[in-house]
Parts: sequence; structure tokens; C-alpha cells
Amino acid sequence: MELVRDCLDKQIDDQSKRRMGRVDGIVLVLEPDRAPRVAYIELGVETLMNRLSVRLGRRVARWMRRWRIDPDPFRIPWGKLKIGLNTVIAEVEAEKTPALEWELWLRKKVIGKIPGA
Amino acid sequence: MKKLLEIALGIVTSVGGFLEIGSIATAAQAGAEFSFQLIWAIVLGGICIIFLVEQSGRFAAVSGRTLPDAIRERFGFNYFAFMYVVLGLVSLMVLAAELGGVCVALELGTGVGFQWWAIPVALLVWLVMWKGTFGVIEKGVSLLGLVTVCFVIGAIIVHPPWHQVLRGAAPSLPQHDSARYWFIAVSILGASISPYLFFFYSAGAIEDEWKETHVGINRIIATGGMGFGTLISIAVLILAATQLLPRGIKAQHYSELPMLLIPVFGQKGFWLLVASLGIACFGAALEITLQIAYLTAQGFGWNWSENQRPLDEARFSFTYTVIIVLAFVPSLLGLDPLSMTVFSMAATAATLPVSIVPFLFLMNDYSYVRVYRNSWFSNAVVLSIIGLAFVLAVVTIPLQIFGGG
Repeated sequence: MELVRDCLDKQIDDQSKRRMGRVDGIVLVLEPDRAPRVAYIELGVETLMNRLSVRLGRRVARWMRRWRIDPDPFRIPWGKLKIGLNTVIAEVEAEKTPALEWELWLRKKVIGKIPGA
Repeated sequence: MKKLLEIALGIVTSVGGFLEIGSIATAAQAGAEFSFQLIWAIVLGGICIIFLVEQSGRFAAVSGRTLPDAIRERFGFNYFAFMYVVLGLVSLMVLAAELGGVCVALELGTGVGFQWWAIPVALLVWLVMWKGTFGVIEKGVSLLGLVTVCFVIGAIIVHPPWHQVLRGAAPSLPQHDSARYWFIAVSILGASISPYLFFFYSAGAIEDEWKETHVGINRIIATGGMGFGTLISIAVLILAATQLLPRGIKAQHYSELPMLLIPVFGQKGFWLLVASLGIACFGAALEITLQIAYLTAQGFGWNWSENQRPLDEARFSFTYTVIIVLAFVPSLLGLDPLSMTVFSMAATAATLPVSIVPFLFLMNDYSYVRVYRNSWFSNAVVLSIIGLAFVLAVVTIPLQIFGGG
């Protein structure tokens, strides 16, 4: 498998095929005298911004903290993933993870309050 | 029979997507200022968009993915972010122009200034998005858009000099106002090769659950729909050349547009123009709003579909709500809708390479399109369109300065 080609930026769904987001980052663990190990994938704004520029990532994280939003990306252990041809399936329940935090907040606080939603 | 109906509906909806404020305004200005001489620009834009729309439909039908999906996967987040910002801003400008177009149609019909219509029009667009399904937006509004066929009927009734019309289909150098001539040509190309058309089309193929079996139907719909849309734009140009040019009307303001049809149909022509302008712009406004929301949701991997309840895809419905709010502000502030249109068409032309270059790679990627990869001919056409897009990107701003006025 080629990590960047087959995993990075792919759509990630939960076990009941609920769209969670995209694989925004991949975390490798480096240990002495051992080959690098893929530990997690990450989903989150800070991870994405870091890919554009580390300085931008830091600035966005600071801005999010000021608004009391946790900027830390959501991590899913590599062992809980199934890498398909064009989709990554995570053995989690999307609605119980921070990946859908914004979706649920908007649903409850904004969209759900508009008639006909 | 079912397939025939599907093809007919597909063609009608594609026409509805093609004909909008930009194609009407730029074709009218071309005819009013340069007679039949700029027909070639509409034909060239039509050929380009037929190829791009066919390829985006084939890609979605075979791979089960939309273009933004694949662009994020194959080109990475940095390219996607760049495309998202550029395409998002340009689409927002075009949407503002479309909403302005609906407001102008209402002003023509009622005499009440267009700014006053900005909020009701934005609310109506939002309401259709909120309550409507993809089918309502795609087919319902587009079927109403068939009223624009009145331009074709009008163009036939006026008996234009057909040999001159045909001569106009071949590119020629201007005899006067070169900068203006090329600026209108670029604006026509920007109006015809609108990225929102092929992005919307690829998302529509997924919404309509197209499979590999739709590859043939897709070819007919893309060619028929975009071809017919091109024909209507040519009809607008013919009417402008035969009705506006002899009267010295340059189509510099929307209030001059009814003169395209009044000499042909009398007072009914006025109402046909109002209906055509209003419905075409309204349909395009819905499609562009959806396209920006699709682009956002697909790029970031959110839940998206116009067929689901807003509650089930809160981020998607929140996105289109914000887009509509942002886009109606220029009309509310009274910015001239025609200036907005011409400027947004030029901006579209200037940013074309960003959304067209990925075609060359995606349409040859076996993992997505398998045996339905582009032939050498289709690749040659895409390469030519990319070449044209780069030329447009370079010349648009100088032409905007010297020929935009």
C-alpha cells in the first residue's frame, strides 16, 4: 500500500456507512532501531491547515482556543481502519466521535430550530 | 420509452443549466455591437462545454464519484483548497449576478426597483433549496426554462441573412473596437465554459444514481443539452444583431433587453423576455447555490444530498444558507446586475485552468474510469481547452481594463 495514494484524503465512513469526513493526516511513530509504524489517521481543521502552512495551522489553533473550541484533531487508531479502493471504513460510531461534533451542534442549535428542517 | 423520456428530460435540464444571465447578456452585447461576427465564440464555447460535461458525467457514472471528490483524492488538500477558494469566489460572483438577473426581471415586470426584490428572491431561492428535492430543482425549474425557446422562434421569424450568420461561425478579426471585441469574446467563453455546469452535472449524476449503463445516455444528454443551449445563445445574438444594432441599442442596461423580442412578438415579447430572464436566472441561481454547497461538502467529506432532510445534513444545509445570504448583498446594495454579470463572466474565464486541468489526469486514471478512459481525440480536445483556458487567464484582465467599459 502507498499511504498517500491509498489513504490520505480519502473519504472516511463509519461502520454504518455514515460519512465522517476525509483522512486529513496520517501519524507515523518513529522508534529507535525499528521501522516507522503507522499509528493513527487524523481528522481536523488544524491538521488540514498545517498541510497548507505550519504557521497558519498554529494561528488557526490559537484562534479556535480563543473561541473555546478544541483544535486538537480527532485520531483513529490504524487498527480500527479498513482501507478500501476509494474509501476508508472506520470501526467506530460516527455520531459518538468528535468528527461529527460540528454537524451535531449545527443540527441542534441552528438547523433544527428552522421550521421544516 | 423510459430511456427516451430520461434522455428528453436530461436534455431539457441541461439546457436549463446552460442558459443563464451570463450567456444571455454576453450574446446580446455581442450581437448589438458586432452583428453576427462573434457567433464563433458561442460555437467554440459550446463545443468545449459539451466535451467537459460529457466527461464529468462519464466520470461520475463509472467511478461513482464526483469531480471534487476525486480532485481532493488525487491532487491532495492543497490543490483542492486553492481550487475551492478560486472557484468558490467566482461562483459566488456568478450567483450574485444570477440573483440580480431575477431581481431585474421582476423590476421590468412590476416597475419596482430591483434592490427591493433582493430579499424576497433570496428567500425564495432558499425556500426551494430547503423544501425541494434534487428532482424539483433539476427538472421542475428547467422545464419552466423551456420558455427561452422563444428566442429561437424569434430568430427564425426575423429571417436573418443566413449566409452572414454562417460566416459569423468562423472566427474573424474585428473591423473596429478590437479590445471591446476580444473582451466580449472572452466573456462569451467565460459564460459558456462555466465550471459550475460540469461540477453540478457530476453531482447530479450521483444524485440520480447513474451507473456504467448511463455512459451512452450521458453522451446524448451532454451533446443535446449543451448543443441546444448553444443554439439558444446564438438565437439571442441573432435577435440582438437584427433588432438592437439597427436601432443603435448596445444592450448596456437590462432595461434595453426587451427590445430583443418586442419588435418580433409585440407586447407579448416583453413578457416573454421577462419570463425567460427571470426563470433562466432563477434556475441558474439554484444550481450554482447547490454547486457551491456540493463542492464544500464533497471536498471535506460531509454528508450531502439535496434529497435528504436539512436536519440530516446540517453542515450542507448551513453552507447553502450562508451562500445565499452572501450572494444577495450586492443586489441589496444596488450594484448594477449587468456590470456584475460581465465582470463575473470575465472572472470565470480568467480562472478556468484551475478547474479544467484535473480533467486530463482524472479521465485517464484507470482506477476511476477503467475502460471508459478518454480516447486520444478526447485528450487532444481537453488539451486544446486547457490551452485556450490559459490564454483566457492571461488576456482577460488586460481586456477587462481596455475593453470592459
